[in-house]
Amino acid sequence: MTAKDTLEKIKKEFTEMIAGCGDLRSLEDIKVKYLGRKSELTTVLRSISGFSSIQKKEIGQYANLLKNQFAEKIKNLQENLGASRAKSEAKKIDVTMPGIAARKGTIHPITRVMNRINEIFISLGFGIAEGPEIESEFYNFEALNIPLDHPSRDAFDTFYIEGKQLLRSHTSNVQIRIMQNALPPFQVIMPGRVYRPDAVDATHSFMFHQVEGLMVDKDIKFSHLKGVLSCFCRSMFGESILMRMRPHFFPFTEPSAEVDISCIICKGKGCRVCSGNGWLEILGAGMVNPKVFKAVGYAPKKYTGFAFGMGVERIAMLLYGIEDIRLFYENDIRFLSQFV
Amino acid sequence: MKLSYKWLKQYIKIETSVNNIAEALTMSGSEVGEIDSYKNDPVMELEITANRPDCLNVLGLAREVGAIFNKDLLLPEFIIPKQKIHKNGPEIICSIENDLLCSYYSGRVIRNVDVKAVSSEIKNRIFSVGMRDVNNVVDVTNFCLLETGQPLHAFDLDKIEGNEIIVRVAVKGEKIVTIDGVERVLEPPIVVIADKKRPIAIAGVMGGKHTEVTTGTRNILLESAYFSPVSIRQTSRKLGISTDSSYRFERGVDKAMVSKASDRAALLISRETSGEICAFHKTGTLTEKKKRIKFSIERAEKILGVRLKKTETERIFRRLGIQITARSKTSITVCPPSFRADLGSEIDLTEEIARIYGYDNIPREIAKFVPSVQRKETPRIVLEKITETCAGFGLNEIMSYSLISPAAAKLFTSGIEPARPVTIEKALSEEQKVLTPQLLTGMLKSIAWNLNRNNKDLGFFEIGKLYSRKNKKFLEIPVLSCALTGLNRKNWQEAERAVNFFDLKGIVESLCGVLKVPVKFHSNEEAGFQYSASVNIGKKTIGFIGEISPKILDKYDIAQKVFACQIKLDAIISLSKLESRHIAVNRFPSSSRDVSVLCSNQTAAENIRRIILKTGAELLRNVELVDMYEGKQVSSGKKSLTYSIEYGMSARTLTEEEIEAVHSKIKETLVSELNVAFR
Repeated sequence: MTAKDTLEKIKKEFTEMIAGCGDLRSLEDIKVKYLGRKSELTTVLRSISGFSSIQKKEIGQYANLLKNQFAEKIKNLQENLGASRAKSEAKKIDVTMPGIAARKGTIHPITRVMNRINEIFISLGFGIAEGPEIESEFYNFEALNIPLDHPSRDAFDTFYIEGKQLLRSHTSNVQIRIMQNALPPFQVIMPGRVYRPDAVDATHSFMFHQVEGLMVDKDIKFSHLKGVLSCFCRSMFGESILMRMRPHFFPFTEPSAEVDISCIICKGKGCRVCSGNGWLEILGAGMVNPKVFKAVGYAPKKYTGFAFGMGVERIAMLLYGIEDIRLFYENDIRFLSQFV
Repeated sequence: MKLSYKWLKQYIKIETSVNNIAEALTMSGSEVGEIDSYKNDPVMELEITANRPDCLNVLGLAREVGAIFNKDLLLPEFIIPKQKIHKNGPEIICSIENDLLCSYYSGRVIRNVDVKAVSSEIKNRIFSVGMRDVNNVVDVTNFCLLETGQPLHAFDLDKIEGNEIIVRVAVKGEKIVTIDGVERVLEPPIVVIADKKRPIAIAGVMGGKHTEVTTGTRNILLESAYFSPVSIRQTSRKLGISTDSSYRFERGVDKAMVSKASDRAALLISRETSGEICAFHKTGTLTEKKKRIKFSIERAEKILGVRLKKTETERIFRRLGIQITARSKTSITVCPPSFRADLGSEIDLTEEIARIYGYDNIPREIAKFVPSVQRKETPRIVLEKITETCAGFGLNEIMSYSLISPAAAKLFTSGIEPARPVTIEKALSEEQKVLTPQLLTGMLKSIAWNLNRNNKDLGFFEIGKLYSRKNKKFLEIPVLSCALTGLNRKNWQEAERAVNFFDLKGIVESLCGVLKVPVKFHSNEEAGFQYSASVNIGKKTIGFIGEISPKILDKYDIAQKVFACQIKLDAIISLSKLESRHIAVNRFPSSSRDVSVLCSNQTAAENIRRIILKTGAELLRNVELVDMYEGKQVSSGKKSLTYSIEYGMSARTLTEEEIEAVHSKIKETLVSELNVAFR
């Protein structure tokens, strides 16, 4: 058999094999058999070194032509078979079956609200400070101008531990600690856990959370307090929210104010949540009382400042429509899992 | 405090609607809540702050309304015409044992009273604010209290023994039956009004039953006094009673009103009962040093951030009863009225201007901020990262009370901080008595709550504090606690399985991986656990992890396994790195070899891993345990651990021979050090 005949035979065989090939694995076998290192075609190409130069050229060209043709055919078939494989497997999948859910953890609503409050004030340039929950009377009361045996202390009923040590009834103790350790200017918020001996019911808890704020500098005004709180309220509750400040009394600020926002439920028309008057009280605030500056050793004429404080539970209850404060501490998974 | 609209209008000429008045009062500091009505008379419910006892009466509120709406006050009749005073009363001696208790005490004798029902005029007033009627004498004293803010008390003069009235501290064990019919045992520092025989009233709080004015009463003694706010507060707290009278005394009544109110009441009692106004007896003094305060409009403007008009400022002061005594170029000097003890310094006056001027009229501005440095690894941000990561791992964050029962505080006694617990002096209940020394009982309580509601597959975490004391110092240590119980998530592809220790350990390892804090686990015996490991950073133990013992679970009625950990966060916070540092990826390929180690089931996997790491040294890139087998195919008491070891170098590709050499060396070392075999 001449070399030419051999090549013809290879071509014929290959054409038949390709026609009968229906899957990628047998195609791979064909590829090895006809294009591999030990294929007949390669053997022919290796053997031509002994031929005459004319024959060499003729057989060599033809063999290379076949080699290219085979490669082309294999490639085409490979693509066809590959595509049809993908299709046939896709047909087997019922895409309407439920996906395998990623496990969704949750962050407690109080943490979420507290973090949100922190974020807003941080974006305004405030720093964050924290202080101890177990505190002395000095930091919780005296330095804040809350005298012993005075009705103003009624609002701050307190758990005592021993002697003058107590569980702080507000985070204002941190104000004193900050001012004792630093000179103005500064602006900080103080988030934390506080305690008051209230019997637990739907609206009372002996433990709750507060965020307080303090800004002190040489020229801080009541108008600045209004500006910061208005910015906070609109960031927290929505741009269309209205804010008003009512005069109030706190021993550690003067002038003092309670801050209301227009009811986020009824938009100020009056509903059950806002007791019909269209306003929701959410903050206490005021200008730092010069007596507090005196207690921390600041020159009262030199500095002015404002302070404010809010209850995190109250804000969370308003934001999420929660009507019972106890839900925060029962940790019912049906409650927790809503705060994804 | 309740305020009738009609009563208010008795002292101020105003046609403004009740709603507008309520709004104005609210926006000037006396918050009006509900508006009810009594016989077509709107009645406002006001919240009066502790610094404003002058607003605890109708006249005081009329003054506020007058200041806001710029109206004059119409004062009632306060002066007893001389010809009305009879000279025939008995001589009464009033005395005060200690003028720290009471600086002034007075008694007015009124004779031949006809005690009966009060006139409808007074009855309607006291009814409108929710008070009940008693008789024309008692009702007038109540009317005057509400009108002027001065508490008054009328005694049946004929029931008083002797002719002397003493204000003194109670003797321990002394008894009095008060007008509410309750017998009260007294002791210092309670202050009483006494005759020569016994206490006849608890000073400033409540009168005695024995000397109470009844229909049979003919002659009365009308008391008006100034009791010290502190002693009335102590008395009221000691007895646990708060009355309209004590409420006002402890906040401080108007010294200038003490005798005026007495005269006003005498006039009304005389009118109501046809009694004769007789002698007036008193002791002590009502004078007080007049305060002078300098007020600068300029400074007020600087604090409020608003321009103020001089004329308006002065008008507000005048309407509030604040006298202007001197003017200079830069400031004015004022004298606050006797009923405003809260006005003691310039800032108090600034507040007065601001609240009458209206907070709404002050603009909103943003102050110049000095930016604060905001570092990335502050404790708060690390805690936020931990929270987010744990939630990302599928856990639900819980929050539990920091106060727990003493019994719960003893459950995990060895804890990670062996110290004394912190206890509340006067706890509300046994359940809220001790500041929690661990977060595990809160965790178990929450798990039990959910199991009782048939939710059994739970994964919780909490970031909280442990409280303890060391010597005299109180410690508050931030900790993380996690717990897993029930089944792993199930779906239609994978079979469900019970969660186990390694699910929880994996969470802790992954969390520490995120924070880039290297932690190690060592077998230990934690109190309250079936088995446990300590969690260590270097040689320091920062927490523990394990399966909670059934003995403790029984206390919470938990019938399934609970895996829990508690880790102190202070070291984690200070070591954590939230930003990464880039390390060049390996350019040369690595090569893996598996080895199945057959060893005693007592051999700690950590030891095998340590030997592999040590022996492989710089040629080793990674070791991973890929399989663990115990069972028929290995002899009993043995286990088979399969490790996949990845070899490689950063400088070049390792040759087959090099890999083979180090792999054999590892195997030899395992045999020589741990006496293992290979499968």
